[in-house]
Amino acid sequence: MTTSPVRLLVVDDEEDLELLIRQKFRRRIRKGEFDFVFARNGQEALEKLAENPDIHLVLSDINMPVMDGLALLSKLEDTNPDVQAVIVSAYGDMENIRTAMNRGAFDFVTKPINFDDLEITIEKTLNHIRALETAQEARDRLVVLKRELDVAQQVQMSALPKEIPSSETHDVQALMIPAREVGGDFYDFFPLSDELIGLVIADVSGKGIPAALFTLMTRTLLKGTARDSPSPADCLSRVNDLLAEDNETCIFITLFYGVFDLRDGVFRYSNGGHNPPRLLRSDSRIEEIPPTGNLVLGIAPGHEYRNGEVRLAPGDTLFLYTDGITEAQNTNDEEFGEERLDTKLASLGQVSARDIVTTVVDEVRAFAGDAPQSDDITCIAMRFADLLSSSAVDGT
Amino acid sequence: MTNENALSVQTERSEKAVIVCPVGRVDGSNVGVLESAIRELLDAGQKTLIFDFEELNYISSAGLRVLLVTARRTQAEGGNALFCGLAEHIAHVFEISGFTNILTICQSRSEALAAL
Repeated sequence: MTTSPVRLLVVDDEEDLELLIRQKFRRRIRKGEFDFVFARNGQEALEKLAENPDIHLVLSDINMPVMDGLALLSKLEDTNPDVQAVIVSAYGDMENIRTAMNRGAFDFVTKPINFDDLEITIEKTLNHIRALETAQEARDRLVVLKRELDVAQQVQMSALPKEIPSSETHDVQALMIPAREVGGDFYDFFPLSDELIGLVIADVSGKGIPAALFTLMTRTLLKGTARDSPSPADCLSRVNDLLAEDNETCIFITLFYGVFDLRDGVFRYSNGGHNPPRLLRSDSRIEEIPPTGNLVLGIAPGHEYRNGEVRLAPGDTLFLYTDGITEAQNTNDEEFGEERLDTKLASLGQVSARDIVTTVVDEVRAFAGDAPQSDDITCIAMRFADLLSSSAVDGT
Repeated sequence: MTNENALSVQTERSEKAVIVCPVGRVDGSNVGVLESAIRELLDAGQKTLIFDFEELNYISSAGLRVLLVTARRTQAEGGNALFCGLAEHIAHVFEISGFTNILTICQSRSEALAAL
């Protein structure tokens, strides 16, 4: 292995030391392991360091003209914080040694110099420098990784649908407050035709890049299959089969997908292991959307998803959410829970989809208080205002 | 209060299985503790595990994923993974996610042992 020699700076006003060092370390110099640079005082040392940015170890005497070793140490702390210094002092000069250590010297050796001991001290200091460099590199990599995670989160957020204009028949609003780490939840809504609206909410297991990738994949697959089949159960069965192929890590996703028909108010849906959404009746009764008895997506190929059906009357609202809402904890480790959610929903009365999602999320955050948010908080509300046909008649 | 969020994993050996008892909560931050405890048992040749959730307060989806991987691995190796002692809110999570259909859930540890 050929590596460039480690360059060390020796600072001493006695010329003898240069000769001695070259003589004692001649083997290591010849082998190309060490390369020594010499300076006569602190001032000269700083100049040499400026010329040789690859020097990370300084061996310095204390008493020198122009700038002494202790003054040099003070300067180094500001100008060369990554340089480690070993001080050479008179035997028993504890006061100067203490001062040097307090000014950041890594170690010291005493005169007359024992060169075996000096070599050990140099090796030890070099190991320390290497450890610092490794730690710095790891930190730098973490910073890069953190930046990439931030970008991943932006990609994920930008994949979410933007607002859709409310119409005379319905309005839809979603709200998502991501937890600190990229992850977990996604929602989607899209018109399948003039009469049909698709609504999706999902929560992937775990967080981080694997979860984000799985989320994006699911969203893309579902959107693709939704165009081919009007049956939510069909779509979930197909997406599940694709996700479950070779999914050894058992990452899974809970996903609720429903299609709302503006002509008759019928909402057909299939629930892949997701928290049952709520149906807010216009008289403030809260109903749970009945489960379809199905499994989360991604782990059981061939699993057959089933459709369920509910009918909405004008004035009714669908509310879809993830467990970031019901499992939000306050500082006493209590969960927000379904009861609080239902109570809040029942108190809302006839308000817009936007008011519903913001009021619920505000309530959850007020409940959580200063407790850290550990999971994404996501919900969608779709308020059904009027049947398509009657509004079309009214509108003309 | 300081240990509220901590997780420890206790194991007990019985004749037919090792009983794994997670104490506390399993979430994304500490799921590795559970995962490595299980891996250690399976790598040592243990084929059947009974998870007793008597002392489990909470399990996140990241934790559920580990249970799935475990069930799959034990079955592939000719063993099984059984789950018992689920508190009501944890049983609810298993119910909603559909895991009750693919994992073997028992009421109690004795029922799980008898099922082997």
